[in-house]
Amino acid sequence: MIRPLLVALLQVRIYIQDKGDLAFSLLLPIAIFALMYGAFGEMQFHGTAHVVNEDQGGAYSALFIEWLEEVDNLDVELLSTSKADARLDRADLLMVLYIPQGFSDRLASGEQAQLIFKQRGNGGDEGQIVASIVGGVADQMAQEFQVRGQVSEYLAGSGISQERIDITVQRLLENERESPAVVVKEETVGDSPDPVNEFLPGIITMFVLFAITLTARALVEERKKGTLERLLTTRLSVGQLFAGKFLVNFSRGFLQTLILLLLSYAVFQMFTPLSFMESLVVAIVFIAAVSALGLIIGSVARTEDQATWIAVFFTMSMVMLGGTFFEIPESGVLNVLSKISINTYANDAFRTIIADGGSLADAGLQMGVMAGVAVVGLVLGRVIFKVMPGGR
Amino acid sequence: MAEAFLTAQELHKSFNEHKAVDGVSFTIYKGEIFGLLGPNGAGKTTTIRMLSTVLEPDSGDVTIGGYSVRRDANAVRSLIGFWPQELALYEELSAFDNLVFFGRMVGLDGKEARAQAAARLELLGLAQRAKGRVDKFSGGMKRRVNLAVSLMGHPELLFMDEPTVGIDPQSRNNIYDTIEGLRDKGMTILYTTHYMEEANRLCDRVAIMDGGRIIAMDTPRELRSQIGPPDQVTLEDVFLRLTGRSLRD
Ligand SMILES: Nc1ncnc2c1ncn2[C@@H]1O[C@H](COP(=O)(O)OP(=O)(O)O)[C@@H](O)[C@H]1O
Ligand SMILES: [Mg+2]
Repeated sequence: MIRPLLVALLQVRIYIQDKGDLAFSLLLPIAIFALMYGAFGEMQFHGTAHVVNEDQGGAYSALFIEWLEEVDNLDVELLSTSKADARLDRADLLMVLYIPQGFSDRLASGEQAQLIFKQRGNGGDEGQIVASIVGGVADQMAQEFQVRGQVSEYLAGSGISQERIDITVQRLLENERESPAVVVKEETVGDSPDPVNEFLPGIITMFVLFAITLTARALVEERKKGTLERLLTTRLSVGQLFAGKFLVNFSRGFLQTLILLLLSYAVFQMFTPLSFMESLVVAIVFIAAVSALGLIIGSVARTEDQATWIAVFFTMSMVMLGGTFFEIPESGVLNVLSKISINTYANDAFRTIIADGGSLADAGLQMGVMAGVAVVGLVLGRVIFKVMPGGR
Repeated sequence: MAEAFLTAQELHKSFNEHKAVDGVSFTIYKGEIFGLLGPNGAGKTTTIRMLSTVLEPDSGDVTIGGYSVRRDANAVRSLIGFWPQELALYEELSAFDNLVFFGRMVGLDGKEARAQAAARLELLGLAQRAKGRVDKFSGGMKRRVNLAVSLMGHPELLFMDEPTVGIDPQSRNNIYDTIEGLRDKGMTILYTTHYMEEANRLCDRVAIMDGGRIIAMDTPRELRSQIGPPDQVTLEDVFLRLTGRSLRD
């Protein structure tokens, strides 16, 4: 039973002959990771409030803008009315805050003052977040005015001077602002469906699946070199040949996935030791299934081009139907079709563990399907290899 | 020449309804050089592939050294060597590594494979380049490595499929010498060609194939004598008489 190992080792030796190929295959997961980090690394919200201040010279509008600028992660960009209108017009901006003329005067005289959001559509994701931040600041300002007004009204004619009232209320309000009576404290109790958690499974499965081309080509290349024919006249059986090719392709896929998972663990802290191990198990079963499918393609294809194109077509359809790019609906044709994609099961299993905080047991069905595909794929690949003309 | 070493019985093989090999039977005796001659598409390669266990016959059987390719393929494989027409090597690796790997595949243990590999390379005058990558070798050197691989494990029967196609006269004569040298050491050889002169010179017996069938089989001299005085006609005359002059693809 040493022959499959020798076949695998041989391919590894050929592989490491080409330092460029080797470096590339190991750098690839790192590069993908870097892309992912670039896309999701800055998870904190950071937005810009576009503000038109038509209340020129108004004390309260200036104060309001000052408060906005104090908010973390929010920049304030002041625009002129015409500029803001133009940018809204061409959808360059989706939401702009207008502080109307007379804002400060109305506030000072106790009348209701308005802030106006002009938006296109729903204002966009960023716009909505900015709007809610602005709303919060406006609420605070409104409350302070209310307190001031009510205290003044209540104490009117008590003999306390208006100036004293104002100063005292001001001090109290500032105290309150510095150490509020009610604070919102954030406590993370579990994984949130943040983008990295959502996307990592898709990225891993897509990455593993793309390697199917290499697996498929491994057999065809051997055929082209003539070494396959030669091997078939030796005591190496087709089963052993398949085992060897399976082993080496599996190992490469595993190594690459391991790098990807380890980096995600280290940088995004998205695993516990247990969920990391469980993800590895899912990866192992999925890579096994994909390697087996690659050998089927390699058995069917007669040229490297054929192998590549079959593999690419296969990969693309599996990725599409596997819900990597878009959410598969709960029912309907697409849902039924998605069941034929091996990625569906892999993505589900990974999401169960990475995003939903579930365990391997919760992904039992998916694991079973993938293991089944691995076994059936290996057997079927061997049968196809034997019956195709030119095989043994 | 008594002991039959290979017996092919009624071999048939079709590809998509096309009969590539259509009822081929022959016997090769131990220690002889047997030539399978025929124009392109005659079915020579398909026959060799069935004999060497690469391809399963649709019907018929082959026994080699008493073992059936159908029932005892593994026993057959330990008796045969295969010299493919084209280079069949891992050119990214060294000559030594190629020899050792195929040695292991034919059933040698690591130590034996390394010993045989070293001995073969010595014999071929490649000992100096043993650890050099094959793709850096000259064409002639590659071909010698290709042959050395076929001889790993000391096969008793060697298959050669058109070993001299597209080769310069020096290398061709070198191959003739090699084939005769192997025969002198007791190896049985089946080889295919469509060069009649070569077959005439080397082969103890030949079979002429056309359209998937054997249409004549004897010693070259006996075949020549069937169409004239054997010293005045050539095997090529026999061949053209039998297979006709129409062009093959
Ligand atoms: N793998 C195959 N698939 C389909 N047809 C084949 C295959 N191998 C050989 N043939 C056909 O079988 C016939 C015999 O081919 P082959 O044995 O290669 O002839 P030869 O070696 O004598 O030139 C040819 O017509 C060839 O096209
Ligand atoms: Mg041929």
